[in-house]
Amino acid sequence: MNGQSAAAGTAGGFLETRTGRALASNWAACFLILMFAVFSLTSGSFLSVANFQNVIHLQTLPFLLAAGETFVIITGGIDLSVGFVTGLASVCAAKSIQVLLAAGMTATQSVALSLAGVLVLSALPGLVNGLVITKFRVPPFIATMGMWGIANGLALKISNGFPMTGLPDKLPEIGNGYLVYILPGQFVSFLSKPVGFANSRIRELLRLLPYSLPFILLVLAILAFALKRTRFGRHTYAIGGNVDAAVRSGISVDRHLVGVYVLSSLLAGMGGIFNVFQTGIGNYTTFNAQYEFFAIAAVVIGGASLAGGKGRIWSSAVGVLVLAFLENGLAISGVQPFYRYIAVGVLLVVAVVIDKIFPDLR
Amino acid sequence: MKKTIVAFLVVLMIAALAIPTFAQPIKVLFMPGVTDPFYFTMEKGIKAAAAKAGVDLTVAEYPKAWGPENQIPILQAMVAKDKYDLLLIAPTSADALKAPLKAIYDQGTEIITVDTFIGDGDYSKQSDYSFPLSYIGSDNQLGGKQMAEQLAKLVGEKGKVYCQATNPDASSVQDRVKGFTAGVSEFPNMMLVGVEWCLDVQQKAQEQTLAALQINKDIVGIFGLNVFSAQGATQAVVNAGLSGAVKMCLWDATLSNIDNLKKGNADLVLAQKPGEMGSLAIEWGVKYLKDKKNVKVPKKVIPGFEFFTRQNVNDQGMQQYIYQ
Repeated sequence: MNGQSAAAGTAGGFLETRTGRALASNWAACFLILMFAVFSLTSGSFLSVANFQNVIHLQTLPFLLAAGETFVIITGGIDLSVGFVTGLASVCAAKSIQVLLAAGMTATQSVALSLAGVLVLSALPGLVNGLVITKFRVPPFIATMGMWGIANGLALKISNGFPMTGLPDKLPEIGNGYLVYILPGQFVSFLSKPVGFANSRIRELLRLLPYSLPFILLVLAILAFALKRTRFGRHTYAIGGNVDAAVRSGISVDRHLVGVYVLSSLLAGMGGIFNVFQTGIGNYTTFNAQYEFFAIAAVVIGGASLAGGKGRIWSSAVGVLVLAFLENGLAISGVQPFYRYIAVGVLLVVAVVIDKIFPDLR
Repeated sequence: MKKTIVAFLVVLMIAALAIPTFAQPIKVLFMPGVTDPFYFTMEKGIKAAAAKAGVDLTVAEYPKAWGPENQIPILQAMVAKDKYDLLLIAPTSADALKAPLKAIYDQGTEIITVDTFIGDGDYSKQSDYSFPLSYIGSDNQLGGKQMAEQLAKLVGEKGKVYCQATNPDASSVQDRVKGFTAGVSEFPNMMLVGVEWCLDVQQKAQEQTLAALQINKDIVGIFGLNVFSAQGATQAVVNAGLSGAVKMCLWDATLSNIDNLKKGNADLVLAQKPGEMGSLAIEWGVKYLKDKKNVKVPKKVIPGFEFFTRQNVNDQGMQQYIYQ
């Protein structure tokens, strides 16, 4: 009996119970709840609506990237290009808005046209990735790493290495807007602060439900549905589970894989567009950001296997939240940033070890 | 006749030896620190001065991230390919770059460090890092201190302030934090409640600042210590709905920081003079190489700062200090 099966055997009794299986297969969610409990005790500021909203709002981009990466990882692949595709989409959106504004279009027209164009264009890196992987049998790691460099270079070329400004002021207002504003005992206002609201009372203002929350819930729900309930989703699992069996059962594996990489790229592009709304400028992705690695880490923590065939959208979203709240909770508890990096690293290794010891958990 | 021919040949030989010295322009290599607007602006200053001085300029690949592990391989590849008379470099580590730069210097290349330095940046005293011709860059400690003083004015010299920093291993960053900490400590009613390091990632700066605002809900002022820290910190304050209530002092005059100043999301922007640092480095380097015996290059050249406020941000004279 090797170490892995011994460990599995030891835990086997408990795991065979319904509760045991539910807890083990949702260990990330359990860990998240445990973190909430611990950080609530270590810092009084952690457990607050404002903090949770801030964290979730800032995770909109990681949610999108992790969702795309979930599809890719279920097929047994990997997409390293998403972080820089996000930056490329962000600067393309900013540049095209600048150009259209200069051409005399209104702000609304410029933004609408530019965003539609960028969304369509952001499928291109995924299309190239998919074609290189399926037609030339280049391993996904290498193919998407190539696109990683190309997207980074293009973004720097378009932006000349500068954040791109001069976009309509309304963009960050929308990107950081809330559905409800409340000044206790004074007013409840929907969609915007009341006109003439005194800045001196801004610290008393409660803001509820950032626009980004319904947006990301909708996107994740659609993707979860597509993965669980549609033929596209079933084929994704089938390819990751056993590619030969998938071929024998008549699935057009190559075409499907191209579709999966296009989807991943599209979501990264959507992330870039969201970034423009959130920051009001076009940002190229800096090298240290490593969005792709955090997206992959979230997917793995969420229970997907890098070997393919396993993974769920909502679980990956939990993975994103685990990473985000771990960082946030440790920061609020006053832990030095360098220890926080260690904590994230340890958590990732734990996730992979759990997957190795209990490969049958879903 | 024979003597005339010999004399002619000797003159010809001397001319042949002399021609490369005069005909070949001085070769200069610029090695930036990292891919960011500050160094792109510096490159523009260097290029303009190089064109004016007629030197042959090569710009090395921009390292994708801050750190000697990213910069040294690019630098070594460049000097292995070609020989340069002058190297302008922003060292990404005060210690790790000492040995590689000494090796390049020993091969006959003069070195000027721009923006950052090796050792403690004092090349005037005898040490194992005193070989560069000069350090041309900001007095970051002074800048940090001045930012603390400006922030103190903005918050009425009282309340909690926070510093959003970036890479802890950069000499310039360390000095800004030191200066800011010292500056804040001069105001007894002000307290520095935290320094965080975003490693040049705007999103991280945003998350860290939001966490800081969560821990200390009564923070009244924030110092954003470089391009990415400043943008992320400002964004966090906007996200938290605290624009105007939290005073923001931002380091580096990128268009985005200036935009935030105009929109009321920031209160003060410090402009370094990267273009001037670049052009001064070329001017001093070329002057020295043309007349090594008589030209004495100052060991430290500090171009100084400019401060953008909402009152002067549209002044014609200030526009030259925006990084673009």
